[in-house]
Order: sequence, then structure tokens, then C-alpha cells
Amino acid sequence: MPGSSALAPLLAACSGDGASDGVAADGTVSITMWHGQADQGKETLDKLVAAFHAKNPKIKVNATSGGVLADSMLQKITTALAAGQYPDIAYIFGPDIASVARSPKVAHLGKYTKQANVKWDDFYPAARDAVTVDGEPRGFPALVDNLCVAYNKRVFKDAGMPAPEPGWTWDDFTATALRLTDPGKGIFGTGWPADGGEDCVWRIYPLIWDLGGDIVSEDGKKVAFDGDSGLKALETINQLAKDKSVYPDTKPGSETMYQIFNNNKMGMIPTGPWQLPNFIENKTEYGVVPLPTFNGDNVTIAGPDTWTVFDNGSARVEAAVKFLTFLTEGAQDVQWAGQAGSLPLRSSTAESAEWQQHVSKTVGLDAFSSALTYARTRPTIPTYPKISQPLGQAIVSMLLDKATPQDALDAAVSSANAALATS
Amino acid sequence: MATSSWRFAVDHHDATRARRRSLAKRWLGETPESWGFVLPAAVIIIGLSIIPMIWSLVLSMQSADLVTPARWIGLQNYRVLSKDPNFRAACIHTLIYAGLFVPLSIGGGLGLAVMLNRKIRFIGLYRTLVFVPFVISAAAQGVLFSFIFDAHFGIANAVLGWFGVPPQGFFADSNQALLLLVVIGLWSGLGFCVVVYLAGLQDIQQELLEAAAIDGARSWGTFRYVVWPTLKPITIFLSVWETLQALQVFDLVFVTTRGGPLESTTVIVFFVWNQAFQLFTAGYAAAGAYVLAFSLLIVSIGMRLIRRHQEVDAR
Repeated sequence: MPGSSALAPLLAACSGDGASDGVAADGTVSITMWHGQADQGKETLDKLVAAFHAKNPKIKVNATSGGVLADSMLQKITTALAAGQYPDIAYIFGPDIASVARSPKVAHLGKYTKQANVKWDDFYPAARDAVTVDGEPRGFPALVDNLCVAYNKRVFKDAGMPAPEPGWTWDDFTATALRLTDPGKGIFGTGWPADGGEDCVWRIYPLIWDLGGDIVSEDGKKVAFDGDSGLKALETINQLAKDKSVYPDTKPGSETMYQIFNNNKMGMIPTGPWQLPNFIENKTEYGVVPLPTFNGDNVTIAGPDTWTVFDNGSARVEAAVKFLTFLTEGAQDVQWAGQAGSLPLRSSTAESAEWQQHVSKTVGLDAFSSALTYARTRPTIPTYPKISQPLGQAIVSMLLDKATPQDALDAAVSSANAALATS
Repeated sequence: MATSSWRFAVDHHDATRARRRSLAKRWLGETPESWGFVLPAAVIIIGLSIIPMIWSLVLSMQSADLVTPARWIGLQNYRVLSKDPNFRAACIHTLIYAGLFVPLSIGGGLGLAVMLNRKIRFIGLYRTLVFVPFVISAAAQGVLFSFIFDAHFGIANAVLGWFGVPPQGFFADSNQALLLLVVIGLWSGLGFCVVVYLAGLQDIQQELLEAAAIDGARSWGTFRYVVWPTLKPITIFLSVWETLQALQVFDLVFVTTRGGPLESTTVIVFFVWNQAFQLFTAGYAAAGAYVLAFSLLIVSIGMRLIRRHQEVDAR
């Protein structure tokens, strides 16, 4: 790769370690971690890293955000890999790990995760699946969440509506959204991100799974939401748009729809546990119920993120595994999940007294916590973005009511299938 | 005897020194220390501009995703690019943006500069106010205008409502989003044109204007025959500059629309970013970037030719 040799000295300064194998003369191993966290998440991690150092003087973890927030980590890590100067651990979103793991520099952790002290099987299946590419673990679960519906109690009360109950259907959802909507007062029934990004796309998968469809076929050569599952899911979204009961948030980041919810101008919003600290901070009177279904079987999507491990020599990989094992152990798992507004990575943590106490203090957290048992994940395949982008456009055209569900589906399916066939 | 051999040694020594110096001179010029001054800048330019440019040219002829070994495919990326409807759409959006932004920013900048080129009270304040938006980062502008133009809760629709105009979709309307980006671009880009034109206007010699007035020229005549010709080089500079800026628009799109709604605001640089960092087709993205770079080169050369042509005319 021309150019990389010239850039190497410039970039070496960024990775923050002298010896390339990371082992100093006295046997101390230094590893670098890019966590992409700010505020609360960063504070918590700094504390946990300090606790690790106190117990393991022979390993030094240089934990920084990596100079970016998690949203931009993919870009950062791609350029780092191209330049040949990469960290030992990076925070990579679940849908991106397969693309990153095509790099020969991403470590294979199969032999480590079999070790008894790692307790690999104690992680939730969704969390394990999210870090496994082609049957081989390439990192550790970093965070796990899922979608339920948060509803604004004030808006329901003012509309004289009863709160939604578990076991409701998508028809109930669209009817409720319509009844809550009041254009005169600027009140919307619900909201949906409409920038075509991943946050807009992943919310449709529970509907597709519920209707018997899937994201991609067994052999990975075709999408599996062509036909009724995709059509009915898109029709449901389009119904909300036709009723003018959904606020389509076209701004990247979908901050606005949550502000509207906090201002008591929105009745319901599918969201994850990460939003609860924000609701509490704004003193929003909210409740949480599981996602509606079409036929009674609970289904939701988990969007786990990963601590992807990179191979800078076996000494550093071993140190990284040791650190990540510590980071995801019960005592630390509880702190990280509790303070970063996510959920336990391990089922044993969910049963611990400490977590139970945290759940009892946080409204709605129990709904998310129990949804982990039936949450499914997106496939870890490198072609995923080529499915997500066309489907995102289809969803946006539904939210803005610019196409019929059938036309939107056909366009998304043919575009995604064409991309899958050539890959 | 002893002295002569000593002298010979000295002469010989001088001769080699002279030869050595001439060799060094031939390589480093009369003032070798000047290289010390140039070196830091040269290293930075070569390291951060020239090498990446060559690297991306190589990349554009490969099937590469930056994380796995690349495959050489010659001009295949460019062939696919020429047939790609998404790239064509991105080019069209970029041209629409530039085609509106450049004339409007130059025309508006000149108009405002003429208005601000007079001695009235608080003129310094007005000039500052016009320039302030230019200093605000595109990211901050994007956030600001996203709120102003929110289709349901934005102040823009509230203001339109007072005048009885029905609420608009703005960024949620694929027919309006690109035009809105031009408006935001102008809001911040005008200030720069105004400042440059103001400098030009204040350079015009007072005697010329007085002479024109004595010859009976009205204000339009003065503008047409004295002011405008004097400002011509500035206008050419601004046309090149603003065109280059407009063709490379990215940050504004990234923070406000992400190319949406329904891909109505995908501009070339956004297309390149998406291909490289979202879809992992870096080679293809580099080809797209090179098509843009080549267009920018043509614009610059074209403008140079026009300027040279005019200098010849002026003589």
C-alpha cells in the first residue's frame, strides 16, 4: 500500500505505545482501547479501567475515546486499518463488525472464549451472536439493548386514553396513535427516524420477523422480506403516515422526536433503554411496554455493540482478552449497564440483587430487561449495509407518503438483491 | 622545501574544498540554509497532500475496501461509475447547487457591498453583521437551520403562517431540501463575497469617480463604466473560489439531511463518503473523488484562460 509507510510515523503517535509488541522490559503489556464514549459512559469506563489496573499491575490499558464518538468509529477504524496502525480494542456497532472483521488484523478469539473463567455461555445469546462472524468470536459484547415502546402518561391522560398493555397488536398501535394525534395542539401519536440511517431501519425488523420474514436468506444471496412480511410491515408504517399520526424525524441523530416526547407532544415512541436517563432527567412521566405484535408472539430486536479485538501480537491479544473478561464480569457489568443506561450483558448479572435493585428504581427498565430473553439480532454479514440502505429509503418513502408500499418494497428488494448478487 | 610542500598541501586542500562546495552549490543552490526554511512546509505538503493524492489515484484503479488486500482492476471503477444512476444523480444535485449558489452569492455579495460602501452611522456594525455568519461552522449552521426549518415545530413555518402561507415540508420535502441548502449556503457564504468586494470598492481611486461625475455620469453610468470594470479581477477570483467551494459541498449536507429525503440531496462528496465508509467500496469512492477533482481542475484552468485572454485584451 503506497503512502502508508510515509504516514506510519505520523500515525504511530496516535496509537500511544512505543514497542510494537507492547511488552516493556519489565514484562508490562500496554494495550490501547478506543471506546468512543463521552460523559457518563467515559466516566464509568475510566473508573473500571482504574479498578483493573489496581488488580493487574502487569497490564496497562490506554483507554481513550479514540478522538471520535462511537458514531464515527467505523470511519476511524477503517482508516487506521488502512494505515496499519490500529488499537487493540475498539467500540464497533453490531451491524459493522462483519465489515471490519474482513480485515486479517481482527483477532480470532475462539480459543480464548472457551476458557472457563470467561464464562462465554453466560452472555445473552443476542450479545454472543453480535460478536460472532462465521462462527468465530471476534470481540466481546460491549453493550446490549432492545426496542420496546415508551409511552407518555401525560399525553394519554389528556387524551382520555388507557395506557397500552402488553399483548397489544400493531393495529392497536396505529389506532392509538391516530386517537392521540391532535394537529391543533401539535401532538403526534408516535415518531420514527426518517433520515434513512440504521436507526430508521432496525425498527422495522421486529415487524418483519413477526410476519415470518427475515432480513436475508439462508445462503445470504437474497433478502428474505420480499413478499407479505415486508409488504405488511411497510403498510403499517405507511398507515401511520397516511393518518398523519407519525412525526418523521428527518434530522440525523433523531434527537428531535425525543424532545417532542419530553415536551408532552408525542404519545408513544419505540426506543431502547439508553433513552431512559434522558426521560428521567427531563422529569417526563413515562411508562414502557413490550413492542406490539401481529399474532401474539413476543418479538423484538437487540442492537448489541461490540468490543472488537485487533491482533497486535499474541501478548497484546491475551492482555485485551483479560481486560475485557474483567470488564464484562458481574460486578463491572452491573456498573456499566446501570450507569451507561443499557442492560446486563450476562443473564447471571440480570439475576443479581444489585441489578434487581437498579431495575426497581428505574421505571420501565424491567420491560427492556425481560425482553432480552426473546430479542433477535441483525445478521453479522459484510453485505448488510447494502440491504439496510435501500430498505431505509423504502421506509422514508412510507413515512413521507411518497410511494405505495408495493412500489417501495419492490425498489428496495431489487436494489438489495442486485448488490447481494454481485458481492 | 618544507614550506613549499606545506603550501602545496594547503592549495590541494583548498581545491578539494572548492570542488566540494561547488557540488553542494549545484545541488542546494547559493544559499543552502534556505532549504531549512522550506523543509517543514515541504514535508507537510508532500506527506499530507501529494502522497495521499497519488495513493487515492492508485486506489481508484483497485477493488479495495481498505481492510482487505486490494485487487487491481484498471479503469473498471470509472466504467461502472459512468453508468451508475446514483452517481449521476449526485453530479446533477451538485451542479444544481453550484449553479444557484455561485451567481447568487456573487450577485448578492456585490449588491450588499455597494450598499455598505458609504459613510453612514453604524456602518461598521452592519459590515460586521454581514460577515458574522461566514465565521459560524457548517455543523453549527446545520443544527441551527434544522430547527428553524422543522416542518412541524420550526419557526419558519410559524412565520409563513402569519402571512397566510400554508406550512411547507422543507427538509422533509424532496423538492425543497436542495433549494433550502442553497439558501443556508448563501446565508453564510455571502459575507465572504461582501468583504472581498468591499475591499475592491475601496481601492477605486476617488479621482476616477470624480472625473466620471464631472463628465456627467449618473450613478448607474459610473457603476457600469468605472466600478464594474475595476472589479473584474475580483469577480473572476470569486467565481473560481465559490465554484470550487460549491462543488465540494459536504458538511452542510452531512449535518442537515444525510443526502435525504429520498436521496434528493446526495452531492458528490457525500456519495464518495457513503461508498467509502458505509458500503466499504473505497476504490469506487476514490474514482468518484477523482472525477470531481478532475472537474475542479478543468474549472480552474478554464478560469485562468479567461483571465489571460482578458489581460491580452486590456493591453
